[in-house]
Amino acid sequence: MTRNAEAALLAAAAIVASMGVSLVNLASGTGLDAQVALTFLVFAVSFGSIHMALRRWAPEGNPYLFPIAAFLTAMGFTEIYRLDPELASIQRWSLLLAGAATTAVLLFLRDEGVIMLRRYRYIFLATAVLLLLLPLLPESWPLHGAEVNGSRLWVRLELPVGMRTLSFQPGEIAKVLLTIFLASYLADRHVAMAQTGRKLGPIRLPEPRQLGPLLIAAGASFAVLVYQRDLGASLLLFALFVTMVYVATGRAAYLFAGAAIVGAGGYFAYRAFDHVQRRVFAWLHPFEDFADSGYQIVQGLFAMGSGSLTGSGLGLGRPDLIPAASTDFIFASVAEEMGFAGSIAVLAAYGLLVAAGFGIAIRSRDVFRKFLAAGLTIVIGVQAILILGGVLRLLPVTGITLPFMSYGGSSLLANMVLVALLVRASHGERT
Amino acid sequence: MNRPVRVLAMGIFAIFTVLVAAVTYHQVIVGPDYRDDPRNVRVAAAITGRERGTIITADGVVVASSEADPDDPLSFRRSYPEGPLYSHTVGYSTILFGDQGVEAFRSDELTSDRDATISGVLAALVGGDIRPKGLRLTIEHNLQSVARAALGDQRGAVVALEPRTGAVLAMVSTPDFDPNLLVGGNAAPAGEALDTDPAQPRLNRATAALFPPGSTFKVITASAAFEAGVASPGTPFPNPVELELPGSTATISNFNGQPCGPGAEVPLSTAFINSCNTIFGMLGMEVGADQLVGTAESFGFNAEPPFDIPSVASVIPPAESFEFDLPGVAQSAIGQRDVRATPLQMALAAAAVANNGEIMVPYLVDEVFNAEGIVQESAEPVVWLRATTPSSAGALADLMEGVVTSGTGRRASVPGVRIAGKTGTAEDPAGPPHAWFIGYGPVGAGPGDPQIALAVLVESGGDAGEAATGGTVAAPIAQEIFAEFFGLSSETE
Repeated sequence: MTRNAEAALLAAAAIVASMGVSLVNLASGTGLDAQVALTFLVFAVSFGSIHMALRRWAPEGNPYLFPIAAFLTAMGFTEIYRLDPELASIQRWSLLLAGAATTAVLLFLRDEGVIMLRRYRYIFLATAVLLLLLPLLPESWPLHGAEVNGSRLWVRLELPVGMRTLSFQPGEIAKVLLTIFLASYLADRHVAMAQTGRKLGPIRLPEPRQLGPLLIAAGASFAVLVYQRDLGASLLLFALFVTMVYVATGRAAYLFAGAAIVGAGGYFAYRAFDHVQRRVFAWLHPFEDFADSGYQIVQGLFAMGSGSLTGSGLGLGRPDLIPAASTDFIFASVAEEMGFAGSIAVLAAYGLLVAAGFGIAIRSRDVFRKFLAAGLTIVIGVQAILILGGVLRLLPVTGITLPFMSYGGSSLLANMVLVALLVRASHGERT
Repeated sequence: MNRPVRVLAMGIFAIFTVLVAAVTYHQVIVGPDYRDDPRNVRVAAAITGRERGTIITADGVVVASSEADPDDPLSFRRSYPEGPLYSHTVGYSTILFGDQGVEAFRSDELTSDRDATISGVLAALVGGDIRPKGLRLTIEHNLQSVARAALGDQRGAVVALEPRTGAVLAMVSTPDFDPNLLVGGNAAPAGEALDTDPAQPRLNRATAALFPPGSTFKVITASAAFEAGVASPGTPFPNPVELELPGSTATISNFNGQPCGPGAEVPLSTAFINSCNTIFGMLGMEVGADQLVGTAESFGFNAEPPFDIPSVASVIPPAESFEFDLPGVAQSAIGQRDVRATPLQMALAAAAVANNGEIMVPYLVDEVFNAEGIVQESAEPVVWLRATTPSSAGALADLMEGVVTSGTGRRASVPGVRIAGKTGTAEDPAGPPHAWFIGYGPVGAGPGDPQIALAVLVESGGDAGEAATGGTVAAPIAQEIFAEFFGLSSETE
């Protein structure tokens, strides 16, 4: 029965996307065209295939996660289409690919469910580290790294046919793989980690043997990301490690230690690097350097302020003035054209997603599944908080995609697979 | 095992609450500030893009219009075909510098309702006209052009109006500027250049700058004397070379350092026509501070004129401040000391004499017409002040006509038209004297007469510098304006 609700809600999301596209068309004076039908079709095919896969292989899985994801994708897609129809057409292909990949993942897990992932944790760890290293490949190779906006977190594959290049952000995939690794590793060790240990003053530390592989994994990921100057992804992975160890051990000391490390690391980075200082200054005083470092933040604020309660209307605002309007600042674009009403809808959708994810974690009896669900939920929640906090001037802008909404195929694919794992984990969650 | 998950969930929800608060703050609480920030070009794009109504002069010359933007067929660009000529009256509608002049105070009529606001949409649905309305000014384009040309590159101002109605016929302030520069792409540097220019081109000297009125103020002093019954035009006054002021070493002397004409005594009329400071100093002290300040206030001093364009109040200190300062009264009576007036105020003083003592509310917009050109609203003349009695006004008219026929204002005369006037050469410790002329014409009781009253101010003597007087510098400008107005070329003189 609940799957019928899912089908209806997914259809609603497809309608949101196609109606959004038609509103943009009306505003720009092009009228209704094939874009509207095409958008509905792509949403219907992608989410329809996932829905059919869930009906077949995870009928008891949570029916609300994919509709929420589809709604966020629709909101983001509409705004991407409004900003640049060409990007939107690429994003449509990405959505088709993400739908296919997600369906494939559900097919792969059809018999054993997410439990089977537990066995391959070191394959996931190795793959994740390899993916994180990929952007460092030299430019002359057919598969090579590329620097975009000062951060080397892209990989490009030069296809021999024609002069086409295929780019992707391996970090997005790596975050899912690392979450699986962590959940699996901690599911084996959490009892030992929680009970044994050495006292260091009032803090009880686990045996280094228990923590060792974890620290190496964490350290390697950060080293790579810091080397690539991808501050957002570093923070996301760090938060993931710390909170998952906290979930596994129940010791709040890890949270405090983690916060202290972030604080100290941030302080040293601030002292050591010019570009970090500039970014912090732009965060604290965006209006003082309006023309340069504060430009993006202020344009984002102007966009949100100009949107007011009900927004300028799709296609009637000027989100094109914001640098990175379709990626990092997609939220400000939506807030301008769909107003406070639109931004609250988006925030509520993330809130529901996170609530449902944590609910799955809490209800899961199996430890691995619990950790996996918690970790995946944390990834979505923290990633949204990092970039929304940046746009809303609560944090410095770190440059990370807003799950489902930002333009970008790797991000969309990784987050769809992430949600698929969550839904699959909720199928038979009480066993 | 579930406790840490719950703790994390609560933590993330707490942060989401903060996010919601931040969105509320940015979009709802300070949103309007962001929206109106001058650096937010969204506002700019919205304002410039919108169509505004056409502004034309009384004789039909287009002085402001909206033209389709060649780069963007859906939006409009404001254009001022007459360039600098109307920079202080029509003003401008810009993004960076806001709105000024008629563009500012009649903005409601000039803007289109075609802006997708709820009221605009509703109006369109019920068949209302949401197109912007146009304005017809009271200004005569030819008169405005002549007044501007007469000032040349001197700093100053001209205000001319119709005494019976208050309709402004010409209003010029120099130096002026081209408002088109503030609209286009290089608006920011153009505006900055205007702001840093020491000549202050953006200052509207006609309504927003104060100058000592000098001898033009004698019109008010004489009016005070007539009202108080202290003197009449024939009243004889002693005729010293210079007036020694009581309780002070200061003296008042006449412009040429001579007595006021031959003889030991001269009538007040001669003193007015020849603009004798000695006798008007005496007269002021006889009239007294209370009457002098009271009369000045009934002429509009110490009150902001109810004018369309932002105007400052002309100033005379309160009577109490002269309690132990008789010399101050004498100096105020000749328009010096701390008396300050705008050219608009002095034009209104001349208009009061012309209009039997009544000052009408000055106005710039004669008609509002809709997009079809049909007049929807016409200005109704309204009395602002009763400055003086008709009999005093009549006596003043005779004196002022004498100034133009045989006194200091001869160079304002035009053939065939009876002109009344008063000159002023106002000393300014900061530099050369300011040259003034106020006047009106035609004197007499023809239907509709007098038709024009004006004030001319040339700041700091203009090209003549220290040698400037109201009679030599300002009166000839008034003459050119009168000549144009009465259809006489000044060359025919």
